[in-house]
Amino acid sequence: MKMDEIYEPRILAFLCNWCAYAGADVAGVSRLQYPSTIRVIRTMCSGRVDPIYVVQGLKSGFDSILVCG
Amino acid sequence: MGDCHYQDGNVHLSKHMQVVEYLLDLAGIGRDRMAVRWLSAAEGRRFAEYVKEFSETTRQLSPFDPRKFELPLAAVWDALTTSRLRWLMGIELQIIEKGNVFKEKIQEKDYWHLLQKAAEDEYHNALVLEVLKEGAQSVREIALKTGLPVYSVSLRLGELERRHKAKFRGYDGNISLFSSMGTEAA
Repeated sequence: MKMDEIYEPRILAFLCNWCAYAGADVAGVSRLQYPSTIRVIRTMCSGRVDPIYVVQGLKSGFDSILVCG
Repeated sequence: MGDCHYQDGNVHLSKHMQVVEYLLDLAGIGRDRMAVRWLSAAEGRRFAEYVKEFSETTRQLSPFDPRKFELPLAAVWDALTTSRLRWLMGIELQIIEKGNVFKEKIQEKDYWHLLQKAAEDEYHNALVLEVLKEGAQSVREIALKTGLPVYSVSLRLGELERRHKAKFRGYDGNISLFSSMGTEAA
């Protein structure tokens, strides 16, 4: 297996229940194509995303963290 | 801003994340590893664009290996859980927008300088403490492991001593050794 050739990043995404998560839903419903790189965690408010969640995400081996709110 | 279900939840978020970005830079991990984006519930297209764009930036970076960043990650974590940083981050919006109990507001720029300084201090303290978990060590050893200059290690140790987090342990020949309080036996 050559890892370098196809490096598919793994991104942890925190999405706000009211805007970003619904936005992602709209993207899905309207069949907009976007990369399958994100793993989504829905939060009830993006302000609820504690700074240490980002650190924990990186610690657990995600390549980057996206927070949408 | 403005589209938040809870009025200013996302503003709080972006304030907190500024500190995280700053710390990731300090830790040598780089702020490119995270992104904060705002969008409303109707903006599916924009969401798709954000994901596309951020996937691309992530792809340009090399895969992240947390084992290479064990010490800095632990120190960022410790710094972010100190009561000092928690307090400063939590009170920020209140104090720059509404003012304190004396109705005094602090300029956003000034507050950010204060936060930066606090974040840097706490991060360096955390680095020193993480290294001290391995046992009593000299200033030079700590400096080598943390990558901090010798002088700032002694400043940090002085501060940690005052806070009862570290203490002078004794001499090895004529080199003074320091250790953390309470974690080690003997």
